[in-house]
Amino acid sequence: MISVRDLYKSFGTNTLFAGVSLQVEKGEAVVLIGPSGSGKSTVLRCINGLEMFDRGEITVAGIELHSINRKRPSKEDAENIRRVRLKLGMVFQQFNLFPHMTVLQNITEAPVRVLGMSRREAEEIARGILRQINLESKVNSYPAQLSGGEQQRVAIARALAMRPEAMLFDEPTSSLDPEMAGEVLSVIRKLVEDGMTTLIVTHEMGFAREVADRVVVFDKGTIIETGPPEDIFTNPKVPRTREFLNRVLK
Amino acid sequence: MRRFLGILFLLIIGTGIIIYAAVPSKPKEGTLDKIKKRGHLLWGADAEGGAPYAFPDPKDPSELVGFEVDLAQSIARELGVKAVESQNAWDSLIPALERGDFDFAMNGIEITEKRKERVLFSQPYYIYTEQLVVRKDENSIKSVNDLKGRTVGTLSGTVAQDILMGMRGVNVKIYSGQVEPYQDLALGRLDAVLLDLPIAAYYARPNPKLKFAGPPVGEGLYAIAIRKNDVQLKKKLDEVLAKLYRTGELKRIYEKWGLWNNKQEKLAAYFRNPDKNAATLEESQRAPVKSFFPMLLKGAGVTVLISVSSMSLAIGLGLILTLMRLYAGAPFNWLAASYIEVYRGTPLLIQLYILYYGLPNIGISLNPVLAAFLGLGMNYAAYEAELYRAGINAVPHGQMEAALSLGMTKGLALRRIILPQAVKIALPGITNDFIALFKDSSLVSVIAMVELTKTYSMLAASTLRFFQLGIITALLYFGMSYPLSLLARRLEKKLKKDRR
Ligand SMILES: Nc1ncnc2c1ncn2[C@@H]1O[C@H](COP(=O)(O)OP(=O)(O)O)[C@@H](O)[C@H]1O
Ligand SMILES: [Mg+2]
Repeated sequence: MISVRDLYKSFGTNTLFAGVSLQVEKGEAVVLIGPSGSGKSTVLRCINGLEMFDRGEITVAGIELHSINRKRPSKEDAENIRRVRLKLGMVFQQFNLFPHMTVLQNITEAPVRVLGMSRREAEEIARGILRQINLESKVNSYPAQLSGGEQQRVAIARALAMRPEAMLFDEPTSSLDPEMAGEVLSVIRKLVEDGMTTLIVTHEMGFAREVADRVVVFDKGTIIETGPPEDIFTNPKVPRTREFLNRVLK
Repeated sequence: MRRFLGILFLLIIGTGIIIYAAVPSKPKEGTLDKIKKRGHLLWGADAEGGAPYAFPDPKDPSELVGFEVDLAQSIARELGVKAVESQNAWDSLIPALERGDFDFAMNGIEITEKRKERVLFSQPYYIYTEQLVVRKDENSIKSVNDLKGRTVGTLSGTVAQDILMGMRGVNVKIYSGQVEPYQDLALGRLDAVLLDLPIAAYYARPNPKLKFAGPPVGEGLYAIAIRKNDVQLKKKLDEVLAKLYRTGELKRIYEKWGLWNNKQEKLAAYFRNPDKNAATLEESQRAPVKSFFPMLLKGAGVTVLISVSSMSLAIGLGLILTLMRLYAGAPFNWLAASYIEVYRGTPLLIQLYILYYGLPNIGISLNPVLAAFLGLGMNYAAYEAELYRAGINAVPHGQMEAALSLGMTKGLALRRIILPQAVKIALPGITNDFIALFKDSSLVSVIAMVELTKTYSMLAASTLRFFQLGIITALLYFGMSYPLSLLARRLEKKLKKDRR
């Protein structure tokens, strides 16, 4: 479903990736862990075209993104980036809801304007998703009137309304207190259980262990270890993984 | 409430004290004594476009020349002192004289009944006439009687203006400089110009595109304006002028400037009969303040129209400039940035001059309304562009990324997500700019637009009621801008509420 092959990426003179590869199969839930600054967000951002890369290849649902290192991608590249984005839903640490729109408008804006859905159909879908995540009463609220956990759930709903084939989460609970984090995690858990292909960056190790089919450990721009959660969490092979886990699980 | 009243009371008292202090107390020693003690006399004139009266020497602009400069030097010599010119806008020579800025004003000031209420006049030193000037190819205007339905230019505050205003059906255009009316006449913006003969002789006669139409009309007297209480100075100046006339020095000065004609022989009568210097030109009658309101309100209407239309241009053009600057490739981003810097880095007044008086040099002649609209709008567009840019930059980066990750194109994301938030952030600034533009619109009076400020200066110059009319005009401006800022504040609040 998502495949990253031999990715090179540098910021100015700082090289971050020198040949990273990563696969996510359809229906699989992959969790990325690792110290902050190790490149987890950048991988996600490369996958949906928010970040350019220098070398390598990314394929999403059969659509190829090449090493797009130009400031202005060609028409064809730009179109591919957009097609990839339509296959993927993205959830950010900072929610990034549109503050000037109500919850309902936040969710229906893209289906109506991008997919050309009728407003009625889009609203019906939006209400359906909101019902599932217990936010139906908030349809007409503005983001500033919601708690952090509610905002993040709306952000997930907004991404889901586009009917993506896979979801990317970049530390979805890092700006939430534990109680609200729980609400958000259970929404994601439900998605994974329903078979959604997901790629999650998180520091919630308990959650990672619970939902992940596979855990990928990043350190300083390289994947140092990958495997099923039982192996990684109980019996890590690489010393740096052990150090990292000791630090965060303490 | 009581405290508020107390503060108000203090404010009124304070204002009273300031006004009292600002009004000059009557000089105790006579101006003549002061001149002698000082060693030079200060005479007020407007040397800006002031040929042939008093103007910077084209060969050495640091020196003033003109027939009145020669006359001032002769007078000074007779008094045993030096002459020093004090530069002042012509419109406000008399208020400045009253304020005590100089000893007397001598700058083609016509003797009129209205002025005689405020100042003392010396014996006249020149008999002027009004000369009608038209384009060379103009055959239908032979005299002032043919001006009905025509657009005629003249100078603000002159007797020619009074003559034209007194004629029915003539469209009068008032200028504040002597060069511009003839320029506009040559360009076809005017059908004729009526101005004092010395001005016509200097500016129009050498212009091959223009010709004199008909004989001089009217007849009036130039005299030196002296403060009401300076009787001693008046007596002395009259003596000096009579002597200069007797010795033929006055005639030599006028001949030097091509201004001597038979009419000047009549000056002799005045020097023989010292008190017969009555004005020969009819005054527009004294009117109650109420009667000025229709004209002021009309001016205010023009001001509102210009402000609203040029602000619309600024808002639209500003947005285009910002989008070009932020999102278009070279050379458009570069062009937009240069536009913004140039327009913000040069005075609006210069931009207006170039648009209105400069462009005709390269064959583009704009009418005043269009020039005012473009001048203000294009200038403010640069400022609006910067406000939008600040607004866009203040929208968190994540907003654009979230929109893009939903599959929106950059254009759609800008239009639906970024700009609505940016405009909200920029709104207070845009409002303030509108109020500023509203006041800056007074600058377009320099390009022959008769809006509120121009109406004021015309009325004030012809009635000399600068204070009364000034307060009324200021109140009109305030009455229009204040509701605007209230409205803007409400809009701002509403948007804020929507956001929450
Ligand atoms: N826009 C950028 N410009 C320069 N350096 C960046 C930029 N984005 C990320 N980096 C650098 O790349 C590295 C990886 O960042 P990131 O992918 O955000 O790490 P993580 O998500 O694992 O915390 C960090 O060292 C960070 O400083
Ligand atoms: Mg990160």
